Amino acid sequence: MKTIKRYLRLYRVLIVQFFKVIMQSKVDFLMGLFGFFFTQVTGILFLYLVFEQIPFLQGWSLEQLIFIYGFAQIPRGIDHLFTDNIWLVAWRLVINGDFDRYMLRPMNVFFQVIAEKLQPDALGELLVGTILVIHSCRKGIVVTDALHIGLFFVSILAGALIYTSIKLFFASFAFWIKKSGPFLQVAYEMADFAKYPTEMYAKGIRFLITWVIPFAFVAYLPASYFLGRGGFFGAGSSNVGVIGIECLIAGLFWCIAYSVFQKGISIYESAGN
Amino acid sequence: MRRKLRIYVPFALNELKTQLSYRGAFYLFILISTFSSFISYFLWMAIYGSTDKVMLGGLTRNEMVVYIFMVYVTRSIVCISISDWVSEDVVKGTVAMNLIKPMDYRLSLISRALGRSGYQFLVPSVFIWIGLELYKVNVLGMQVTGIWNILLYFISSIMSFLIFVLFDFCVGMIAFFTNYIFGLLMVKEALLRFLTGELIPLSFFPECVQRIFDFLPFSSMVYTPVMIYLGKYNTAELGFVLARQAVWVVLLYLLGSLIWKKVTTRLVVLGG
Amino acid sequence: MIEVRHVSKEFVSPKKYPGLKGAIKGLFSTEKVVKKAVEDISFTIQDGEIVGYIGSNGAGKSTTIKMMTGIMKPTSGECIVNGINPSAQRKKNAQEIGVVFGQRTQLWWDLPLSESFTILKEIYNVSDEDYAERMKFLNQVLQLDAFFDRPVRTLSLGQRMRADLGAALLHNPKVLYLDEPTIGLDLVVKDNIRAAIKEINEKYQTTVILTTHDIGDIEELCNRIIIIDEGKKIYDGSLEELKDTYGTRRTVSMEIKSPKEIVGLDLPEKLKVTEQACKVDFDEERKALSVSFDKHKLQVPQVLNAVMEVTEVSDIQIQETQLAEIVKEIYNHGLKQADS
Repeated sequence: MKTIKRYLRLYRVLIVQFFKVIMQSKVDFLMGLFGFFFTQVTGILFLYLVFEQIPFLQGWSLEQLIFIYGFAQIPRGIDHLFTDNIWLVAWRLVINGDFDRYMLRPMNVFFQVIAEKLQPDALGELLVGTILVIHSCRKGIVVTDALHIGLFFVSILAGALIYTSIKLFFASFAFWIKKSGPFLQVAYEMADFAKYPTEMYAKGIRFLITWVIPFAFVAYLPASYFLGRGGFFGAGSSNVGVIGIECLIAGLFWCIAYSVFQKGISIYESAGN
Repeated sequence: MRRKLRIYVPFALNELKTQLSYRGAFYLFILISTFSSFISYFLWMAIYGSTDKVMLGGLTRNEMVVYIFMVYVTRSIVCISISDWVSEDVVKGTVAMNLIKPMDYRLSLISRALGRSGYQFLVPSVFIWIGLELYKVNVLGMQVTGIWNILLYFISSIMSFLIFVLFDFCVGMIAFFTNYIFGLLMVKEALLRFLTGELIPLSFFPECVQRIFDFLPFSSMVYTPVMIYLGKYNTAELGFVLARQAVWVVLLYLLGSLIWKKVTTRLVVLGG
Repeated sequence: MIEVRHVSKEFVSPKKYPGLKGAIKGLFSTEKVVKKAVEDISFTIQDGEIVGYIGSNGAGKSTTIKMMTGIMKPTSGECIVNGINPSAQRKKNAQEIGVVFGQRTQLWWDLPLSESFTILKEIYNVSDEDYAERMKFLNQVLQLDAFFDRPVRTLSLGQRMRADLGAALLHNPKVLYLDEPTIGLDLVVKDNIRAAIKEINEKYQTTVILTTHDIGDIEELCNRIIIIDEGKKIYDGSLEELKDTYGTRRTVSMEIKSPKEIVGLDLPEKLKVTEQACKVDFDEERKALSVSFDKHKLQVPQVLNAVMEVTEVSDIQIQETQLAEIVKEIYNHGLKQADS
């Protein structure tokens, strides 16, 4: 308990520092925010243009697709906001030896890595996601009973954890191959597949993004549950189980990713040789 | 001319070499780069599957397949983001080093972009292109694209390449005025994906918006060569779109020179 | 007490080929290269010692330090630092040590120094009273207050080094590792840093292990040095001993009256020693004669007498071999030859 308190206290100190730095460069912050925001907006515009031509896409309406799209942004944004520094492990910190400093301090290494940076650009994603989800709720296409609302928050947290686990897993390769950025990038970009109903993909791709790099459980599958559709246990069945599986997967992937990371630390070879 | 080549060719070769030396990354970035095309492909197939219409935005389902993958090929040889390099040079402060050397900074960037373009054409665009033609003939039952269209496509693509890098050079100049160009470059990326027709054929936009696009250089970057490849233009239109590309090359070249002049005077005054 | 027992470290890396062709070849090659950075090194360091750990570039200094600090695991052998195995109990060890890498700061680049210290206070769980007391001491020896509110990135190299040293000492570590602490600093700052290290060592009995290329660091700070070369320990002992054993030469420089007499003089034969034991160098124009000889075989008066027998001497200087030269010799693998 004392340890947890100490970690929380330190996290607060680090985050406060971080905000001070952001406040010193407000313009940069706003531009990054706008960049991410704008990127998401073009995705929505694309859907609008497509639905000028067709009324439904495989049984999904424009409004429903927009909800899926927006919902997908929230777990992604949360993970992006809090654990962005994992990217640096994959690209830079291990290969140039800056990872040394985490090894020299008497604290958990993973904690140090993520505590070092908040990524304000992520607010762009969170903003778009929240706007779209609220918009969908007002349109009345989302199920909004207590159970669904409760599970909504469970789901976005589990989803963020899945994101973090996938990032950590691939970033940890850096301990073996020095620079794992490209691998991480491949895995991360696969998330784009899950912004749309996964039924439209070929079987192999669907399997991959459902069970191997399970982004479908971050976005499309839970989103269709909140839309009152059963995307997973057969058409027409709206099943709570999908959120349960999401949580299970989040837990499992986290354990795998964290042990690979720990193993990686134990074989870390600092640079400069 | 020979001397010029000796100065600028190493930029192109060096870029090729750097790209090749990233072993693992090499294969993986190819893989990543195809993701959005495959997402597009499945999405469009689902879209055509959801309607009885034969044509959407003036393209049949089969033409859309060609469009998606030719966008990939075209983008990989045309869209070389030199503004990233400019901002890198500015941030690292190496741009001053480039100024004191007896060479043209823009030309060295374009040479480097040419190297990247050649590399991206070889791996993997040329294979995707061949694969697409085989798929077209064997699966979709379409004709092989005629040699005339291919030739015109390459002429148009070369101009597209010039339009893109000349335009992007101007964008890169912003790096001299702000410290944080990352956000801007992201906006540029998203905007271009939309305006060049990469995300969705420009024919899907409402009429009035399309009229506006006619007066912007973006449609000349990707959309024009791909539509040429698809054989969507008649002779008169062909002449027009190619001429329009040529005009943009000249205009952007002049604009870039002008901005560069302003920037370098400023650099000299402020001491970089 | 620090014990290093038969520690070795190997690095495995993929083979690289030169040129454009090589780059293509590299894509398909799976050949590996094994490099032994450290080979079977053992030593023991007592509490309160200041030990210089020296060797040429790439000799394995940093690798050893990184194993002792827990950054890296040895391929074989083990380090025990005050009863803790750093790679097995990383956090526990980290609480007891301070580390400064001269080439790389461990502070937060964009934050004011004061904030970095606030964070470190939390990381190392330093109580408020201890913090106040430590800061008072650190300010006194390192004068941090002059730039305490400035972001780290705006500090000069000398200030940054002082800041890094202060940061490493905030939690009163038992052992302080310094990897090239004076690299790139001017003479005054170097002196300050050295004085600070000495004072810390004396006041808190902090064990200090430093790697350096600066002979001044060694002469002023270290009572003991360990030299490694190509990953192997080749010397471990006091500075005097090193000078005694390997600094066997002395040089006498003289200004003489008549050069002609000297040209005909064969000093080694006259003193009955080998040419190696008595090297003569004569600049006829400047009338400068310098004789470098083995101090175990000849004495200064012998040499002087031999010269003064033939000509008058107007000025004399006697020099011991400099430590820098000994070390240079050792880096050039001279030591191995001297051994055999």
